[in-house]
Amino acid sequence: MEFIGTLKGTLLAGAIVVASATTALAEFPERNIEVIHPWGPGNAMAMSQVVAKAMGEELGTDMPVISLPGAAGTKAQTTAMGKPADGYTIFDGYVAPLVLQPILGNADWNFKDFKPLSAAVANAFAIAGQVDEARWSNFEEMMAYCKENRGELRYSSGSRNNLPHMVIAKALQSYDCVAQNVPYTQDGNVFKDLSSKVLDFAFVNVGNFRSNPDKVKILLVLSELESSKKAFHGAPTIGELGVDLGLSNLGPMGWTWWIVNPDTPDDVTETLRGAMERAMARQDVIDAVEAIGFVPLSWDHTMYEEIVGGVDAQLNSMGNALAWEEKELKKLQ
Amino acid sequence: MSCCRSASGTSLSPGRCAVILDFLSAGLDVFLSPLALGLTFAGIIVGLVVGAMPGLGPLMGIILLLPVAIGLPPVAAMGFLIAIFVGGSCGGSISAILLRIPGTPLAAATLYDGYPLAQKGRASDAIGIAITSSAIGGLLGGVVLVFCAPILARLASNFAPPEYTMLAIMGLFAIVVISGGSIIKGLLAGSFGLLISTVGTDSFSTGLRFTFGSHNLLNGFHIVAVVVGLFAISEMAAQMMKRDLLKIPDVKVARPGLHTISLTLRHYVNLIRSSAIGTFFGAIPGAGGVISSFTSYAVAKAAARPGEEYGEGAEGGVVATESANNSTVGGTLVPTLSLGIPGDASSAMLLGALLILGFIPGPAMFENNPDVVGGIFMVYLASNIFLLVAGILATPLFVYVLRIPKVYLIPSILLLCSIGTFALQASVFDLQVMLAFGLIGILFRAADYPLAPVVIGMILGPILEANLRRSLLISREGYWIFLDRPVSATLVVVNVLLLVAMVYLTIKRIRSTTKGDLAKAMSTEE
Repeated sequence: MEFIGTLKGTLLAGAIVVASATTALAEFPERNIEVIHPWGPGNAMAMSQVVAKAMGEELGTDMPVISLPGAAGTKAQTTAMGKPADGYTIFDGYVAPLVLQPILGNADWNFKDFKPLSAAVANAFAIAGQVDEARWSNFEEMMAYCKENRGELRYSSGSRNNLPHMVIAKALQSYDCVAQNVPYTQDGNVFKDLSSKVLDFAFVNVGNFRSNPDKVKILLVLSELESSKKAFHGAPTIGELGVDLGLSNLGPMGWTWWIVNPDTPDDVTETLRGAMERAMARQDVIDAVEAIGFVPLSWDHTMYEEIVGGVDAQLNSMGNALAWEEKELKKLQ
Repeated sequence: MSCCRSASGTSLSPGRCAVILDFLSAGLDVFLSPLALGLTFAGIIVGLVVGAMPGLGPLMGIILLLPVAIGLPPVAAMGFLIAIFVGGSCGGSISAILLRIPGTPLAAATLYDGYPLAQKGRASDAIGIAITSSAIGGLLGGVVLVFCAPILARLASNFAPPEYTMLAIMGLFAIVVISGGSIIKGLLAGSFGLLISTVGTDSFSTGLRFTFGSHNLLNGFHIVAVVVGLFAISEMAAQMMKRDLLKIPDVKVARPGLHTISLTLRHYVNLIRSSAIGTFFGAIPGAGGVISSFTSYAVAKAAARPGEEYGEGAEGGVVATESANNSTVGGTLVPTLSLGIPGDASSAMLLGALLILGFIPGPAMFENNPDVVGGIFMVYLASNIFLLVAGILATPLFVYVLRIPKVYLIPSILLLCSIGTFALQASVFDLQVMLAFGLIGILFRAADYPLAPVVIGMILGPILEANLRRSLLISREGYWIFLDRPVSATLVVVNVLLLVAMVYLTIKRIRSTTKGDLAKAMSTEE
């Protein structure tokens, strides 16, 4: 009997241990967490890998970043939100798929449809011209030239209908300047063709500018922030223009806010938020993000509606600068 | 003209050569650490493995291991990643030669002669030649990288949309050269590739083309899923039809030897020419290794001497494709390091890694961080030497795969293909694409249509379309932009001459074939 009692006790204890272990194993996360990135391989993806690695270390799991480019990021966002709402899929929510494409009618979601984790990074753009340009010496002179010579100038915003395109089109519209946008799929080639005088002006990012600061002349920084002005060696910003573009803070900048499916359980979402906030506060992450030319953002999920909502309102109120550009170009044909 | 220039490319003098030697000397000091040496060697092994596995490739290897690398000292980190790039660019040839399955699209052209050479019982020689050509091609690309980076970067800067358009048209001529039996079938297969490259979002109008409401098709088909399907699935189907699934193949595995180096060096003209082509295409951002390997193959075939039966196991075919695609790596690093403009997706990730490590690629890096620049030069050169050593030593291991009975080999390959293809984007849709193109591959084989032109069409299609439309948007005088620019105008003339020559040679061949058939028919009647 004693033996049977001991056996029962052992089995019970074993069962408790197994049950506890199973419960412990069932704690989130049990496996890798995927981060869906909306662009192709490059600096932005490397930056997301830095954040994902740090966040994975905080969670004790791996977080591979998967590149799913296409349709201005909407392919990636649709794919990510189509995965189970279990917290094992995070979307690297750049402004283009999250806010801009719905405004342009290319996506049927609203930024409020998702659960935010934390803001990640922002990056500033600038309009650059050729170094030895003889036709103008600053942005306002370029606009005056453009107004006089409608349709003559060629510029690139990288992809078509992206944020730099919308901001540049709005700036051109404000000065009644009609110029032909030339879409490119690789930002590096935009920079190359600008510096070799194929294009008259173009958007440049901090990374390309820092590699070759002598090859282009920055005409206008598409941001009001002092850090952006500094990154472009003190060039004039949109805040110093004679016209109000209606853009401030993150409005004219690229940024990403990591989000999850709205049906993700609250406890899982909180775990992810905590890990991301801790990761974004780490000095090694801040250093790496700044090294790539991005600005680390420290807003937590409580600021999501205020910050992203502000950008949404600004971009919405910019009106249809892209449609205006298209219409004016058609008139010249 | 000497290649020696300063980082800014401003002057020519022996003194500037000394500057470059100073770079190498500074780099050698950093490189000669157990960590950097060990990781460079490890990177080659990782690269060979990811390259040989259908579906994976150097880009996937770099993406997977970048988070590991950024925690390392700069030169060791870049050594690891660059070695994966080098090893991965060569690794695809191993499965191409042994199994008729290109591990990566880069090795698609290696099938033409690599596989037939292996079927002649010379699998070890074929792999040895592929590895030696890759290593020597890579080293030649490295010499250009070290000594001519500023000149080549400046040349690449002059390539704008009109020049890319003309280069893409030139690349399409490769279809005619490699089609062998039937040019018409080759052109139809190439047209099919061009057609499927149009699927997805049009980057100019943002309109959707042939997506049928599926978000999976918004960026078209993934090239790797298509290549794995076309080549691997159809090949496995063909192997299953042979009814020798249980047979234990009698394959002699030769011991590793240095004789493949001499076999490769016999084709030194081809080797140098193909490496030059590869380096050139690598230095032009966006062109890439697939175009360079097919172009090199087409040029080598066109320049072949009588008796060199390209397409039937010619050593020169393997030399041309493999030296070209690995020298492309060296070429790709030219704009990446000199201008901060990545040549392709893999070098874009390398650029990101460099930035995270705290270095800004471009002329300033040559001035401010000569030890890092020199270290990168050294790891690239060392990677190719390690590739030669590791590759030749491991050749018997690779060839051993052929001794596995097909009943085990075929399911294993299909499993690896599925894992590799799924890993691209963690997408079940990519697996469906793989299977669909596997079926298309089986139909193409049954109708005796070549598969490689599909790949050429699919890769060149977006380059041609985007740059043609871009050129016309930039132009203020319509199509005259192609003649206004000297380099573009030269390429127009070259393309016209190539077209005339090909039409003339094709008509001549058809006439001689018709005459031969007629004479044969008459003699039969007599």
